[in-house]
Amino acid sequence: MPKKIILKGIPASPGNVEGKVKIVNFLNEVKKLTKGDILVTSFLTPDLVSIIRKDFPVLGIITDKGGTTCHAAIVARELKIPYIAGAIDATKKLKNNTFISLDSERGIIYEKA
Amino acid sequence: MKKLSNFKKIEGIKNLEKYSLPAPATIFILDLKKQEKEIDDFLKNRDIVMIRSDKEVDMSFCPHNLNCPKAKAKKFIEELVSKGYAAILQEHVPSEEDKLSGNILIFKKNILMELMEGGPLTLLNREGKLDEYIKIRRNDFKEIEHFGKRLITKEDLGRVLKLIKRVPPFKILEFSIGQDWLYFWQIRDDKTAKELKD
Repeated sequence: MPKKIILKGIPASPGNVEGKVKIVNFLNEVKKLTKGDILVTSFLTPDLVSIIRKDFPVLGIITDKGGTTCHAAIVARELKIPYIAGAIDATKKLKNNTFISLDSERGIIYEKA
Repeated sequence: MKKLSNFKKIEGIKNLEKYSLPAPATIFILDLKKQEKEIDDFLKNRDIVMIRSDKEVDMSFCPHNLNCPKAKAKKFIEELVSKGYAAILQEHVPSEEDKLSGNILIFKKNILMELMEGGPLTLLNREGKLDEYIKIRRNDFKEIEHFGKRLITKEDLGRVLKLIKRVPPFKILEFSIGQDWLYFWQIRDDKTAKELKD
């Protein structure tokens, strides 16, 4: 059975991963992230990027804003973290703790079968 | 002794010349005393200038003043240099007249443009403000993907593509287009782009 597409965005760093949605609206919520999470946030601000550069536990990243050429996308590619940018309203449409699949080579977010 | 070649942003600005890409008049300052005459000559006949900065190792936010009055320029440069930055002194480009700013990423087969209304470009790079996305085939400049508002006119797009046609793949270029100007801000390698689908 074909997987159900939830959202589409801009491929910013390639990879295929599955994980649990963790929405981060404020920087202090980063601590709730655990290994196996997919970080969903409005945008990867320089503060968040500096946290990602350290020992960051997430499997993948989705942001409402941004694109392939933003600084955050370049960092995600350097760190080989799959990243879909510009997935409009991802922080509203995705729900915490739901399982999703990311095809960040094509910029597609699927419901996990 | 500091060398300009150790500063990535400065290298990115200097490399624009290699591809004959238009850039605002610029000088780089590492030593205020030694370069005082050069700075005075640059400031002559200018009321406002843009001052940006770059640091050898620290790639985080570098201070800048994009509307610096001539009278305050030397003081600002002095502060930057004393804190270990290299100062980038440029001719003033009025941001309020920006029509659009953007990044261009060159692949082997295609060219990707991500654009935003107005400037400065840090809004796209650091805050993700993206208003238009265009993917163009390199060999015939045919548009193969587009979304967002139509910001760039066909004429401007043609002008930009003509300028960058000799730029090799996996380079990222930053630029802005105003009422009667088109400037590139820097050109950098983006080896990470090899990972992306062309």
